[in-house]
Amino acid sequence: MLKEQFIPVAIDQWYTRAQKDPEGEFYQAIAGQGPRKDMKQTTQGWYVCDAAGKLYGYRNNRRDNTIKQIMAQALTEFDSDSKFEALSSDVFDPAYQRSLPAGAVVIRVNTKVLSGYKETEDAFQKIFQRSIARDNLWILADEIEQLKEGVVTASLATRIARFHLIDNTRGEPTMWSKTDIKSMDMKLDGDGRFTGDVEIKSSKTGFRTKLLGTVTFDGDQLQQFDIVARGWYHGEGHYTRNAPDGEFSVAVAFRMTDGSDIADPVAPQGSKGWLEGYLKP
Amino acid sequence: MKRRKSIAFIAYVLIGTVLTSPSIHADDQQQAVADISNEEFSELHKSLVPKKALWKTVPWETSLLKAQNMAARDKKPIFIWSMDGHPLGCT
Repeated sequence: MLKEQFIPVAIDQWYTRAQKDPEGEFYQAIAGQGPRKDMKQTTQGWYVCDAAGKLYGYRNNRRDNTIKQIMAQALTEFDSDSKFEALSSDVFDPAYQRSLPAGAVVIRVNTKVLSGYKETEDAFQKIFQRSIARDNLWILADEIEQLKEGVVTASLATRIARFHLIDNTRGEPTMWSKTDIKSMDMKLDGDGRFTGDVEIKSSKTGFRTKLLGTVTFDGDQLQQFDIVARGWYHGEGHYTRNAPDGEFSVAVAFRMTDGSDIADPVAPQGSKGWLEGYLKP
Repeated sequence: MKRRKSIAFIAYVLIGTVLTSPSIHADDQQQAVADISNEEFSELHKSLVPKKALWKTVPWETSLLKAQNMAARDKKPIFIWSMDGHPLGCT
């Protein structure tokens, strides 16, 4: 039903509920018909609507299966004879635009807690405990140039440490600040062997990890960026509750994307709200 | 003789403590961060890939504006998956 009879779209509403452009206004009009009308608060959930902005239904409960009923009901109410106008795609709120810089590459980042959880009977906690988080790392053109010469720039190393050596397996993580990085050493030798040793610590959380991997080039093109970080993590963020007690093992894997995955165009979580801070960490 | 036995006992306890706690730093009780072997790298890199999931077979758009344009053109309703953090990109 979803694939064939709807146009499915996935968004981070933190942007669309604030955007001052046709896309933002369209979303705000839809969300405003639901129970979460305050655009200064989260409006997350599932919305079924039409191109004119009419809301057919809303749900935000993982345990509630009635979203299927809402979708079915929407199909009976939806009038395909109506004339819908496409919104202008020429106007964008620049404050909320994040696009891949020219010459940059997208690296998929997957994270998993390897050990430390207590057994649970809660079905959703089980999902979180087994989950493999996903995010994208952007490597900029000048950093690729330097990598080719065997140099891991401070900007790339800091971006990896601050925004990608993080436990995001149970929700949106609180990113590290620059001063949280207590020590950081990432090297690339002449054979393409990448090694690293990083210690990060904030007031309540921390991660001490080693890194190992292979970075290779095919001419000027970055061909392989296969890296694994594994170490000891402690603590949790405001939106990543229910971490294991004490220190627990966390691993992070990096690999090149090829543009074929639906998540490839998604901007890194660390760029949320401050793209410049992500690009120049 | 008694003193020798005491010294031997203390040495035994100290050595035993060190040998049975190889991964603990004496100063801060943190576990040592082990190097990653080539075999561990291969295993971790291979295993840290999300399993194929039904939701990933859905042709999600990532632009609501584009989705609205498509819905107007194709005369279909829109299903919006709206989250804190991008549903396809983070967590």
